[in-house]
Amino acid sequence: MAITERVEKIRQNYVNTKPHISYERAWAWTKSFQRTEGQAHIIRTAQAFKDTCEELSVNIWEGELVVGTSGEFRKCAILTPEFGWLWINEEMDTFPERGQDPYDVTPEQAKFIRENIFPYWKGKSVEEAFLARISEDTKKIGVDTGFLDTDSKWRNGIGEISADYIDVLLPKGYGGIKAEALDYMAKLNEAIPEDKKKIDFYKSMVFIADGMIALGRRYSAKAAEMAKAEADPKRKAELEEIADICARIPENPPKTFREAIQFVWFVQLGGIIAENPLAWNPGRFDQYMYPYYKADEEAGRIDYDTALELVECLWLKYSEWAWTISKNTASFFAGYTNFENLTVGGTKVDGTDATNTISYMAIQATRECMTHQPTLSCRIHPDCPPEFMEAVTELVSTGCGFPAIHGDRTGYQMLSNLGYTPKDARDWNNCGCVVPHSRKTFEWTSAASISFAAALEFALNEGKSRLSGKQVSLPEKDPKTFASYEEIVEAWKKQFKYLVKQGVISLVTAQEIHREIGHRPFMSACNEYCMKNGADLVDGGAKYSIGPVFTGVGLSVTANSLAVIKKLVYEDKVCMLSDIIDAINANWEGYEDLRAKALACPKYGNDIDYVDSIARQLADFYYDEVTSYNDLYGNHFVTAFMGISNYLPTGKVLGATPEGRHACDPINEGVSPYTGTDTSTCLAALRSAAKMEHEKHSGGTLLNLRLNHDLVATKRGRANLGAMLQSYFALGGFHVQFNTISNEVLKDAQAHPEKYRSLLVRVAGYSAQFTNLSKEMQDSIMARNAHEAF
Amino acid sequence: MAPSGYVMNLQPFSVNDGDGIRTTVFLAGCPLHCAWCANPEGCNQTRKVGWHIRKCIGCGECAKVCPQGIGIDLNAEREKCIACGKCVEVCPQKARVLMVQKMDADEVLKQVQTHRLFYSYSGGGITFSGGEACLQPEFLNYLTEQIYDMGYSMDIETCGVFDFEAVRPSLSRMDLIFMDLKHMDSAAHKRWTGAGNERILENMAKLAELPAEVVVRIPCIGGVNADEDNIRRSAAFVHRTLPKARMELLPYHEFGKIKYEALGIPYEHPEFLRPSKEEMEHLRGIVREEGVEVADFR
Repeated sequence: MAITERVEKIRQNYVNTKPHISYERAWAWTKSFQRTEGQAHIIRTAQAFKDTCEELSVNIWEGELVVGTSGEFRKCAILTPEFGWLWINEEMDTFPERGQDPYDVTPEQAKFIRENIFPYWKGKSVEEAFLARISEDTKKIGVDTGFLDTDSKWRNGIGEISADYIDVLLPKGYGGIKAEALDYMAKLNEAIPEDKKKIDFYKSMVFIADGMIALGRRYSAKAAEMAKAEADPKRKAELEEIADICARIPENPPKTFREAIQFVWFVQLGGIIAENPLAWNPGRFDQYMYPYYKADEEAGRIDYDTALELVECLWLKYSEWAWTISKNTASFFAGYTNFENLTVGGTKVDGTDATNTISYMAIQATRECMTHQPTLSCRIHPDCPPEFMEAVTELVSTGCGFPAIHGDRTGYQMLSNLGYTPKDARDWNNCGCVVPHSRKTFEWTSAASISFAAALEFALNEGKSRLSGKQVSLPEKDPKTFASYEEIVEAWKKQFKYLVKQGVISLVTAQEIHREIGHRPFMSACNEYCMKNGADLVDGGAKYSIGPVFTGVGLSVTANSLAVIKKLVYEDKVCMLSDIIDAINANWEGYEDLRAKALACPKYGNDIDYVDSIARQLADFYYDEVTSYNDLYGNHFVTAFMGISNYLPTGKVLGATPEGRHACDPINEGVSPYTGTDTSTCLAALRSAAKMEHEKHSGGTLLNLRLNHDLVATKRGRANLGAMLQSYFALGGFHVQFNTISNEVLKDAQAHPEKYRSLLVRVAGYSAQFTNLSKEMQDSIMARNAHEAF
Repeated sequence: MAPSGYVMNLQPFSVNDGDGIRTTVFLAGCPLHCAWCANPEGCNQTRKVGWHIRKCIGCGECAKVCPQGIGIDLNAEREKCIACGKCVEVCPQKARVLMVQKMDADEVLKQVQTHRLFYSYSGGGITFSGGEACLQPEFLNYLTEQIYDMGYSMDIETCGVFDFEAVRPSLSRMDLIFMDLKHMDSAAHKRWTGAGNERILENMAKLAELPAEVVVRIPCIGGVNADEDNIRRSAAFVHRTLPKARMELLPYHEFGKIKYEALGIPYEHPEFLRPSKEEMEHLRGIVREEGVEVADFR
């Protein structure tokens, strides 16, 4: 079936409109906090949520079947000053014109925000608390540096939660959650201190439920009112149906597929209002939606096409909400991407194949809508049905960069290694870009970005930044006096250890602050064990509290650089270490011959053990070092090689590197080879990446590859792609994602963006509309090497 | 002891020469000399070094190590080159490449096994090609015997000119045999390839004695063999001699030009035309009319 006229209209609006900043949520939240001074923070947060749900303007847009918006604009970006407002105050006036992820905001809005909202939060935000508590040393290396960044944990809402639709939300509804909270509360004794704290928690659950129920009812009333005024009988009937559904949803458990879709969106919207979160994951959509579809279909209440249109309407709702982030954060998470990760496929908890009609419907909706959200992930198990593999690879062949493809067993193993039960581990869903996750979990999945290449720069530059000359890290001896390769590796380790330590300090500080003023009653209401334990997520209420995740960036650049030094200086002896130091200090200018030799050294991504073994050594050290620290809750920190778009900002702050890279050029994401250096074959690139022992990096690993489109243009070619995926997963790989659009098309899109508004491309761990990316991001995507078939 | 043989290169991730993901082993030396040959380095078994001028940055590392005193422009002094490969080792751009080398069979086996997982999942394996894959029967026999025991699928591409009995054991181990049929008219065949087609037709008929599937391939070159009459006669012959065989028609391409350039051999053939998509479809239609199934490995 082709996309319906309704969906196409909504889609056109989505691709052609810039998101608009709305302060409705921030204003309502602020007024509520002004009224609740002195009360427990969790209560204040929950009360603010309820008040906001009762105050936000209610808008039903043209043609909508799924309703609910976070403000007065259809493509809406909201503010959460309680986390951070300094950066908004500083950057707000440049929002409309900035290169990456601009938002519309009027001067009148800006004035209102500055006069009425920010003054209240002065000295009260998470950001200010963080900056007040950390030392100068930590600030020097870990705040807005590109060497080590943790600001997504103290400038924005956290997110990184997978709603438990299966055990909590769908079967209970918010009416049920409220009743349960009241039940628990009735059994507690306020005179006992532990009980008192739990009472506050349950009270906050009631506020959250009341807020959600109010939200539904307000939409019901609005739809009824609009239906009365509607002249078109068809639309009138639709509005009446919306009014009917929202009168029951989300208070009551949904009874039909249509109700369940609306329910899922209300939950999503609630999370947005509560935190404006990153990686607020719908989770295993095919698993919890299929029973509704099956029942409706058997009862003759729905057919495939009707259900598909609803799913597509939901996809557009996911995409119309824009995450509001700083210029710095936008360079890490380019393309308005908020990582609403939705997972299909894989196995059921009993180990049998889990694919169903909704798995295919989700893939079809992504192909037809070409929206950048949800971030669609597929789990591929060894006995994956060929039809599902064909659907997955067929979507790859469209070039949209979706889906993110994951090895089922590796995901399972990653969670097992963190102590999950087999049942919970088998039920994993994806979080954010490439993090194996669970609806039973509290975890900061993208907590620190740590640059392997920065540690090398410090090791070879006396602890100073090569570009700024500033001493930001530990002192080190004159690099020209290193006597052996091993000594250089040791120096890298010393610097890297320091980065890890500063990251740990930053994150534990952020955790302390969140435990004081970062309560998450809305998210806790979506978590089965918080309700059972009577404790918020930040108080360890979840079944699994997992340590914060570091994500390593620049693995291949660093391994390649060390290989160059090892080979040219200490083995082939064609140059001195001082030559290399002079060359990178000169950004290779005047050292073209030496650079050619450096480029000719073995590069990671070609299945050459000489250099791959160095990468593995670095990865192993990273794991040992990071996991040796415990967080505030006593859980060890976790490693990942994720992507996001951090390879650009982390490259921009670095001088030239020994493997031939020029100053400020991007480094590399995840376990991907460095751009353009995986010159052998796709198979060799996969084999190199698989050597990194993915299963112990439980925060997820990411591999981006470009494929020549011809390779996936035929069914036969796609079957080969499927075989490549299964081979990679058999080798222990976790995730791979492909760009298959030719550079000719991308160049044309750069020149004529108006023709390509809906062109989706892979960035890293996610896809974004190509024309929404800055020029440098576009260029870096084109520079990735395309693997061709011969 | 394992024999050694002349190899052009091993090409992992080949997806158009048989089923699944394959490694193609290109064996050097060829009894034919087709005017349009896309792999000119494989026309004989001489070790040779190529120079890809487009990759060369003129750093001169090659000249520094050359025992024969050859400069950067290898093609200007090619007669002095002894293909020792020293320049290949030092070239930072991989602009100097060994285009034919002698390889130990066990080294070939080691390399092709690297990708065994990809073969298993895709139903792929190893394809022998060339040059002419059947020109080194002992080498081929050793390789195919070993690979047969490893259980990977094996295919072979051949021009059809070979001593059938010498390679019968190897051919018996194949899952699929691609045999070229460049022209039904022996005189025309001789004009374009240097030899008549009698031996080819004879060997093709014998393929019926082997368990392998057969695909008869025609490189369709406008101005040479891509006319209705030749295609019809070819298809009729295949239908008559090998009723179960399929045919694959491939349009002429000029991807080999870069290799001529690297070897300093002129390649000017404006008379060869690449048939259009429509023409190719038309020719495939004729094959079908003659009762032969058309194969497609794209």
